[in-house]
Amino acid sequence: MLAFLVVLSVLLLTAYFGESSEGRLHGVQRDFLTIISPIQEGANKALKPVRDLFSWFGDTLHAKSQLAQSKKETERLRQELVSDQAEKRSYRQLLALYHVDQLSIDDYHPVTATVIGKSPNIWYATVWIDKGEAEGIHVNDPVINDEGLIGRVVQAASDAALVDLITDSSMGVSARVGTSTATGLVQPKVGDPNDLLLQYLPSDSQAQDGEYVVTSGTVEPPYDSLYPPGIPIGQVTSTNEESAYKSVNVRPTADLHDLDIVQVLTAAANSRASRLQSLAASFATGQSQNQGAGSSEQLASAQSNG
Amino acid sequence: MSPQSTPAPLLARIALLSVVIVFVQIGVVSEVPVFGVNVDLSPLFVAFVGLLCGSVAGALSGFTVGLLVDLALAQTLGVTSFIFTLIGYWSGRLREARDPQAALTPLLVGAGGAAAALVGYSLMEFMLGVDAPVSWELLRQIFFGVLVDAIVAVPVWVLIRRCLQGAMPEDPRRRRGRRAYTTGGLSPLSRAP
Repeated sequence: MLAFLVVLSVLLLTAYFGESSEGRLHGVQRDFLTIISPIQEGANKALKPVRDLFSWFGDTLHAKSQLAQSKKETERLRQELVSDQAEKRSYRQLLALYHVDQLSIDDYHPVTATVIGKSPNIWYATVWIDKGEAEGIHVNDPVINDEGLIGRVVQAASDAALVDLITDSSMGVSARVGTSTATGLVQPKVGDPNDLLLQYLPSDSQAQDGEYVVTSGTVEPPYDSLYPPGIPIGQVTSTNEESAYKSVNVRPTADLHDLDIVQVLTAAANSRASRLQSLAASFATGQSQNQGAGSSEQLASAQSNG
Repeated sequence: MSPQSTPAPLLARIALLSVVIVFVQIGVVSEVPVFGVNVDLSPLFVAFVGLLCGSVAGALSGFTVGLLVDLALAQTLGVTSFIFTLIGYWSGRLREARDPQAALTPLLVGAGGAAAALVGYSLMEFMLGVDAPVSWELLRQIFFGVLVDAIVAVPVWVLIRRCLQGAMPEDPRRRRGRRAYTTGGLSPLSRAP
């Protein structure tokens, strides 16, 4: 019996690992998700009071230290806000000059969902949400909450979806530090859900502790970023310059241990919304200042192609 | 219970409990971190089924729970079922070969099962090519994972034993042990003039 079960497991593993995401076994997983998601949602609702009770104890224990941290963060952000307001005024004038609409998250057709399940495994950072294809959610849609980037959708059934968190071993997000134009790749440090690594930054790029790391939203067909630009991922905690490239340790802004309400951005990566946002962001960071008429053409083309 | 005979009512209860454990784990337990890690009931359940019901039941429950977890969480199929099959089988073999009766047995078996699951996952993921360093943080996560599972091992054991006890057939070894104290020449009352 043991030999039979072990061989069966190994065969499943081999077949699953060797097939594409559209393969039969992946399809079985999607169908399974469709079947059990209503049950999981019901179980989650029934057991929510129990979960909230345990969470209350943890939150109460950490409340004092979190309050002190929040006060410090608020003061720092207040100072940043003052200097950013002047920059924002110039940015708006530039957008108006090029007739670019001010884009917000609403332009990505966000769908609000509730987290109804989570993986216990440190190797698979995955959560279930209670919305799926019926609400317009598709695979690779970015997922955010009010704190920042959460992850992306990896499987979508009709009424539920699976989301890989940014701490999952399979994740990689193109990102930049603050207003810098240099982009790198944020990947998780497996086993440490509070630490990400922004790698492959040019060695002369600047990164200071506390600076925000945001999605770069690079538009470079056919390798467009899945994520709209400017979504906070985390804050710099330290830098490493051991190799030819600079790497930066990043603490996620979103509390991935305590996810409840999230938003899925359902607009496609190459939609008008994301193309305009990327071009507008490149103007704001001065990236396209030397490209002259080429950038204006890009922008006009993006506007007319809708 | 002999390795070959696992009655159908017992298998049905194990199957039902497997489903319940997976749902409770995903929907509730995984969302409440303790010491920065999550309690994982699945390897505890599998180890205790093996300890109570033998190697066959342990291996079957391990395969079932592992497959359910992989399906429910879109993980690589076969990884969890492979690891849990081995955990369930070996805890069943422990029962068949040694039949430990010490009070600490559930705690030690639970901790052992959790450690085997966490280390097993790590080894499998490295072999499947996941680019992750063996860092102190990973070792810390494994250590605290085993610790929190050991803390909840005894109440989980009590619960699983209570759920399965009605369907488990009588064990001749346990019956012989009880008889020695209640009948026959070992009782001091029977030797009284």
